Amino acid sequence: MGRFLTRKNLTRNEMLVVYIIAALSLMIGAVNSAFFSMGTVIDTARSMLVTVIFALCEMAIIISGGIDVSFPAIACFSLYSTIAFMNAYHIDSVAFAFFFSGFLGLLWGALNAILIAKFRIPALIATLGTSSLASGAILVISGGKEISMIPPSVDALSQQFLFSVTNASGVKSSLTVFILLPAALCLLFHFVLRHTMFGRGIYAIGGDADAARIAGFNVFRTQCILYMAAGLIIGIAAITHAILMRNANPSNLMGSEMMVIAAVVIGGTRITGGHGSVVGTVLGVLLITLVSNNLIMLNVPNYWQTFAVGLIIVIGTSITSLRAKRIALSPKI
Amino acid sequence: MLALFGIALGIIVIMAFADPAFLKGSNFRSMAFQCPEFGILSFGMMLCMISGGIDLSLVGAANLSGIVAAVVILSTGGSPGSIAAGTAAALLVGAVCGLFNGYLIGQLQIPAMLVTLCGGQLFTGLGMAITKGPAITGLPEQILVLSNGTVGGVLPYAMLLFILIALALGFLLKSTVYGQHLCLMGSNPTASRYSGINNLHVTLLTYMISGILAAVSGILILSHYGSAKSDYGMSYTLLSLLIVVLGGVAPAGGRGRVSCVALSAVILQLISSAFNVLRFNSFVKTFVWGLLLVVVMVAQSVIQKEAYRFLNIRRKNYEKNHQQA
Amino acid sequence: MGETFLELKGIKKSFGGVKALRGVDLTVNKGEIHCLAGENGCGKSTLIKVISGAHAADEGEVRIEGKLMQNFSPIDAIRMGVQVIYQDFAIFPNLTVAENIAMNRALESGRKRMDWKESRKLAVGAMEQIGARIDPDALVERLSVAHKQMVAICRAILGEARLLILDEPTTALTAKEVESLFAVLKKLKAKGIAIMIVTHKIDEIFEIADRLTILRNGENAASGDIGEFDRPAFIKHMTGREILETKYRPENPDREEILRVEGLTRRGAFENVSFALNRGDVLGITGLLGSGRGEIGEALFGLAPAESGRIFLHGKEIRIRSVGDAAAHRFAYVPEDRLTQGLFLERSISDNIAAASVRSYFRHGRLQHGAIYDAAVGWIRKISIAAPSPAPPARTLSGGNQQKVVIAKWLNTDPALLILNGPTVGVDVGAKADIHQLLHQLAQNGVGVIVISDDLSELVQNCNQIILMRAGRIGLELESAETDEAALSGMLNGKVQKEGS
Repeated sequence: MGRFLTRKNLTRNEMLVVYIIAALSLMIGAVNSAFFSMGTVIDTARSMLVTVIFALCEMAIIISGGIDVSFPAIACFSLYSTIAFMNAYHIDSVAFAFFFSGFLGLLWGALNAILIAKFRIPALIATLGTSSLASGAILVISGGKEISMIPPSVDALSQQFLFSVTNASGVKSSLTVFILLPAALCLLFHFVLRHTMFGRGIYAIGGDADAARIAGFNVFRTQCILYMAAGLIIGIAAITHAILMRNANPSNLMGSEMMVIAAVVIGGTRITGGHGSVVGTVLGVLLITLVSNNLIMLNVPNYWQTFAVGLIIVIGTSITSLRAKRIALSPKI
Repeated sequence: MLALFGIALGIIVIMAFADPAFLKGSNFRSMAFQCPEFGILSFGMMLCMISGGIDLSLVGAANLSGIVAAVVILSTGGSPGSIAAGTAAALLVGAVCGLFNGYLIGQLQIPAMLVTLCGGQLFTGLGMAITKGPAITGLPEQILVLSNGTVGGVLPYAMLLFILIALALGFLLKSTVYGQHLCLMGSNPTASRYSGINNLHVTLLTYMISGILAAVSGILILSHYGSAKSDYGMSYTLLSLLIVVLGGVAPAGGRGRVSCVALSAVILQLISSAFNVLRFNSFVKTFVWGLLLVVVMVAQSVIQKEAYRFLNIRRKNYEKNHQQA
Repeated sequence: MGETFLELKGIKKSFGGVKALRGVDLTVNKGEIHCLAGENGCGKSTLIKVISGAHAADEGEVRIEGKLMQNFSPIDAIRMGVQVIYQDFAIFPNLTVAENIAMNRALESGRKRMDWKESRKLAVGAMEQIGARIDPDALVERLSVAHKQMVAICRAILGEARLLILDEPTTALTAKEVESLFAVLKKLKAKGIAIMIVTHKIDEIFEIADRLTILRNGENAASGDIGEFDRPAFIKHMTGREILETKYRPENPDREEILRVEGLTRRGAFENVSFALNRGDVLGITGLLGSGRGEIGEALFGLAPAESGRIFLHGKEIRIRSVGDAAAHRFAYVPEDRLTQGLFLERSISDNIAAASVRSYFRHGRLQHGAIYDAAVGWIRKISIAAPSPAPPARTLSGGNQQKVVIAKWLNTDPALLILNGPTVGVDVGAKADIHQLLHQLAQNGVGVIVISDDLSELVQNCNQIILMRAGRIGLELESAETDEAALSGMLNGKVQKEGS
């Protein structure tokens, strides 16, 4: 414990986020004592589930020096197409749902990979293009309408829970079994980023892509694998979202790129690349989720919520950017 | 530039065959009404890109400006005087939004992408907070004149405004000190600082102008629909990026021509109208915008590579033929 | 000294009609420190690129340990033990010291897993070998330039370098750091590693080299054991000229004061600096890196203003708090790094030349592009910039001509004070002479000229007053008439005290 309590560790970016989360929790708890309960933990975890998966992928991409604003569109495309396809052909297999959705995500990820790694198009513009392609395509296919009918055995998953708690007012909160997915992905991402050469390559490319090339990293291959793997995972996250929401909506994930990127940046991942951690990202998502779920508690009226979240995002990202700049300008050892 | 003209002509010709309704005067008229809305927005995007940044908050600022204008007009009685006041208020709001962006980017040195992405959220959120959700309606009739009226029955006021702004910006870029400083800073911000150029001033001014242009667009949208809402024109961000990229502005900064961007806006308008005439729905448009953006960027990347290769081959041949002992 | 490791015979290389190397021979033996010397533009960098496999020679032989190397890539050269440490080190600022050092080894081993313990062990081992004391877990972005260089060297040794090539390694080091570096190189030499240092700094060569090769205009000018050379011979081989006795002396010195500074101080940079510059003077400021020589220039130009002290221009006190202030007083600054700080590479020559004086071309409500073009044409002629017209982009010019464009940019502002930091670095001999002559003319015409440089012969020949900075304070002030390059070098390195000081 003593080794942990150094000044350096206590002022790390992740710790700052922890402090803010703690302060926020106290504020919310003061207004609503029911906040400090297992029910809240379960509900918050449920809200964060899909966002964490998106955030992990976004984090990895930003660490490598890129960015991706197409993931909501890819997700919408994958989940809707999968459900529609399964309904049309009467396929009722859980495995198929995940494979197919993941596969579609992989294809879109491959498009990003080609544009960014091969044609060297700036990542922001490339993924904006992909986003339009994917969302336009799925809106045309779906006509803008959602599907409420989910194949039965797939739908049954939404009713699988790890455990439940009932709070004082008799409200039951159940933790869906799907929570295992982001948990497993967190471990996977942490392992890959920290303990494999591929993961170190992602950091290296984000630090200095030319030096990475000279050192012998295959930058092209790493970027391709990164964007394609992200696409695959996004596809899987997408179908998870559909299962949990119990419908396939072709557009309700759109607009979430802002929150995810903000969560990632607040969690310590520098937008310029080269830095980032799984722990920080999860904390960032937790903060953003707490804020957007509980503004009501703090008496912030509905129509102020977008602004309030935006304000917090601006403040949070400004602070992390300024810290990064301060480090860059500090005296050298 | 010539390539763009060719594309524009090509589209008109193709559409003439596909569906003669395209060539109807009323079609061209309606194009001339709509084009300025996103065209003026594109000019804002262009300026920010030349400076080496980007502005993803244009639509948010436009909507916010429109909402503020509506509120001011309604709360001051709805007379022509109020309309003037509302317009002024909108322009002010746009300028403030731009200064906010410019300050974070220029002084705090936070990357433009992040600032304007967040800023857009902020502006839209503020707009939502003011309208509390639904559109603001009940505006006086005169408001519709700007976007729906014409000069001499032929040239819409909006298009006139577009042309005037294009001319003004062209002059700004080419013939003012600011314009020259902007291109230099976009080309190499370190060297511009070392050359005595005040990068902060240039950045603030750039994003402020961009914000004002967004406000103008917001006023046009307000005038067009006769109401103000916080989420009009959501697809315009991608559209203005596409227009600017097609118009030859380098994402890295330092280069850009108003005439090319203006022509590019016209082309996109032609395509958009073509889709309307052919009765494609708006979802198809989103898809096609994305496709065009990707195609244009890939084409530019390939052409650049080929150009370098071509120039290298020419140089090698020159050396071979002029080899000295 | 051991057997031959590297042998080059008759290397020729041209770039688009420009002959960079015209038949160069070179041998480097194991366990020797070999200096490759020559003025800027003599072909040193090109030769290094040929040795490392980055460029293929047009003609000639490259043999490593007797083996003829043909059509080899940088990876082949690395496998043969050739490691180059370039000036920007190519290390990762966002990773730790240990990770950077062990990086290449980890990649080469083809292992998929990252072994942190192993990397740390290897890194600490490499650092011990050369006596570097750096925290292996620190992020490289927090290191000083000298320590970054150590990291790069450790990485190279871990890669089993048998020939270590360092390209201008002491450019960004303080005197103490240079000593540490030389101690490290001697340790490596004792292990039988061949070391080649590319440099133009005469004193360092005499301190560390066993053998040397001097290039001039792409050809061998001389080579041999260090003992065979003395300073005058050396300079003669490098420049092809006898040591010039001509030193700049102002005609009709009327002693009108242009600039005076009193007690300028900025914490961590310089302290209590005072000097005066009179009409006709060319003032030279030198000192080892970290002595404050560059920082004075930045302070006068407002890039990093002084915290206290006074500045007088023509006798009137002025305040310089920003670049804007400096520009308002018609100060001009030609920066050290013209590529990133001085030029707009993609813009035309005329845009570059007008970049600091755009405002003056705004007349009758518009920017007068015609006048800008004419001005550019004028400067091209006046200072002999080798360009067909002002239209091509600045990146098409050679180093010397690019530097002239930067100077023209500032001359176009009709400056009262011109500060130049390293004005002839990377500039060919001809352009160098042109620039020096230009500076003399300017001084004669009443422009204050300050030259900050580490090129001692440049200072001795072109400045009449020289200030030597030491650790942020003025160490010595002298007239160039009273000294020569050798004495100056001795004073710089603290080995000789000026009589009576």
